[in-house]
Amino acid sequence: MFYFHHITCISPQKTFADIDIENIKPPVENKLLVAEPVYDGIPLGILRRMGKAVRIGVGAALKIAKQNPNGVVIGTANGGMEDCIKFLNQIIEYDEGILTPTNFVQSTTNAVAAQIGLMSVNKGYNCTHVHRGLAFENAMTDVDMLLKENSSHSYLLGGVDEISAYNYNIELLGGWYKKEKIAGVDLYDQNSAGSIAGEGAAMFWASNNEQNAIAKLQAVRMFHSEDENLIADELKKFIEENYLEEESVLFFSGENGDSRLQKYYSASEEIINKDFTVARFKHVTGEYPSVSAMAVWLACYILKEQILPDHFLKYSSSKKDFSKILIYNNYKGIQHSFILISRK
Amino acid sequence: MEREELKTQLKKQIVEFLNLMQVKPEDIKDDEPLFGEGLGLDSIDSIELIVLLNREYGIDIKDPKEGRKVLIDINTMVDYIEAHRTK
Repeated sequence: MFYFHHITCISPQKTFADIDIENIKPPVENKLLVAEPVYDGIPLGILRRMGKAVRIGVGAALKIAKQNPNGVVIGTANGGMEDCIKFLNQIIEYDEGILTPTNFVQSTTNAVAAQIGLMSVNKGYNCTHVHRGLAFENAMTDVDMLLKENSSHSYLLGGVDEISAYNYNIELLGGWYKKEKIAGVDLYDQNSAGSIAGEGAAMFWASNNEQNAIAKLQAVRMFHSEDENLIADELKKFIEENYLEEESVLFFSGENGDSRLQKYYSASEEIINKDFTVARFKHVTGEYPSVSAMAVWLACYILKEQILPDHFLKYSSSKKDFSKILIYNNYKGIQHSFILISRK
Repeated sequence: MEREELKTQLKKQIVEFLNLMQVKPEDIKDDEPLFGEGLGLDSIDSIELIVLLNREYGIDIKDPKEGRKVLIDINTMVDYIEAHRTK
């Protein structure tokens, strides 16, 4: 696979400037909304037209775009959904009459990658993957294939999604968010359906260059299934293929407090080596389709700094000095991924 | 509606429609150019302003040349609204 160099993240937590993953912000009304920074690099005239997904995506990407990557590859399930719905509502409200262009321009899922390309004058490969809960994993796979074809190239890789009024309400009605108020790590103790909503943008400069890298993406596997036994089988194979049986590994679980999905996480924890430390991240990120991008950002940061605050921990092994992080994420009980990150 | 009241309303609408962060309606001068040196609007904003005139005042500007004469500053916009508004 490939190496991560610069990494940036705009999230509900302090992950962009003055990074602090120890003291975390709790959800408000079961939503973890991003803490938006001052966007120094975006001219006001452009910033005022951006929807939130575009704003946080471009804001997180611009620092990395300065490295002149050969292309931009983004994973997002919904892109600028808020602007999309504004635009569609205008069509109804004004009877298909005269419509404003801004909401339309910002509403496409590829608006984030397009704006990054335009603002950094990057005329290279520009692609957006929209495979819902596996959008970021597909973006990573795309970058991996690009780097196999062009080994000296580098790419800006990222994942971004926003909480929009529309998707929040639809997901709430669908039972994907909890009705009882969640304060933080109690997310995992409710034994009820649903999780908390999250949003964020995580960006990475990816290349084959090992020198000065923060971490390495060792392997990615994704699949669709509702069978927890298949998840366990796939995880067993993944662990064997990557020789993790004897390693000191942190198992980074996407457990999100949804009782309907717990069977998948329980099945996966049955498979892993008892020496693995098990940690969870959804109380920090909330649940959203491209949350695995922020999980990868957290994994890179944890490996680089060798810190794992207690609030992440579910089970702690005797081994504290882990060199690899295995992320298991699951979106709506059907889209699953394993991502293996290692110290380079 | 009095002319001054219309100007105040129009300035509020411009700030809201164009999401002009860091600009207060009262900061926009009546004779300040909307495009270029003044408020610094651009071509996408001109379309947004034409949509604003249509939605809020029932004015339909179809000829771009006519738009150029109207969208100069607050004074020219108010002149046009007073002469052509249908709501």
